[in-house]
Amino acid sequence: MTREYELVYIFDSTLEEAPINERLERFHELLKCPESSEPISGINHWGRRTLAYDIDGKDVGYYVVVQFETRPDLLGELERALKLDEAVLRYLVVLNEGLKPVTAAVSEEAEPATAESTDGDAVKSESTTDGEAVQSESTTDGEAAQVAPTEPAASEEEKE
Amino acid sequence: MRRHRKPCQVCELGSRVVDYKDERLLSRFLTERGKIIPARLSGMCARHQRQLSRAIKRARHIALLPFIRGYNR
Repeated sequence: MTREYELVYIFDSTLEEAPINERLERFHELLKCPESSEPISGINHWGRRTLAYDIDGKDVGYYVVVQFETRPDLLGELERALKLDEAVLRYLVVLNEGLKPVTAAVSEEAEPATAESTDGDAVKSESTTDGEAVQSESTTDGEAAQVAPTEPAASEEEKE
Repeated sequence: MRRHRKPCQVCELGSRVVDYKDERLLSRFLTERGKIIPARLSGMCARHQRQLSRAIKRARHIALLPFIRGYNR
C-alpha cells in the first residue's frame, strides 16, 4: 500500500542547480516501487531563502519541496541517504494532508482533475480546495496580513 | 462576568487546515520572542490550535520560523 508524503529539503546554498537536481534524482530513485513507478507528483524549487536561524553555521539555504507517493517501508532508506549527504542541511518528511504548496499557484489550474481522481474521497478533495483558498488569500492580501499581526499582540495585553 | 469569546481566526479564513509552509500565517500566532500564543489568548478553536502548534513546530524545524526570535549568540 502506498501513501502520499511531502518532503522539504534544505540544501547547502553554495551548490548550483545541476548538482542539486542530480541529488534529487538520486534520492527519488529510492522511492520507486511496483505500486507507483512514477512516485513524484510535484517538485517545487523555492530557491535560496534566508534561514530563520543558522544551521551548521550557514544562514542561507536552498529549499526544495516535493510531493510523492510511496510505500512507508521505503522511507527508511531515503532518510538514511539524506542523513549521509553533507549537502542536505535539513529535511522534513510528512504525510501529505492534501494541501497544495504555496508557490505552486501556477500549476494548480492544471492539477485539480488528477488530484481528485487519486484522492477518491470527498473530504480530502474538500480540504484541498480549502487549502488553496487560504493560500491565495494569504499571498494576495498583503495588506490584510499586515493588519492582522496586531491581533495576538492585543490579546496579550488583555492578560495584564 | 464572562468575557466575550473571540472567533477563531483560521475558521474565519474559511479554512479547515493549517499549512506548515505558510510562515506568514503562522507568525501571527507567535509572540515577539517566537513563543506560541495559547488558545485562551488567541481565541483559536481547539482543532485549529492543535493544527497550528504542530505546523509551527514543523516550520521551526525547516528554519522558516525561529525557535527564539532575536537570539543571535
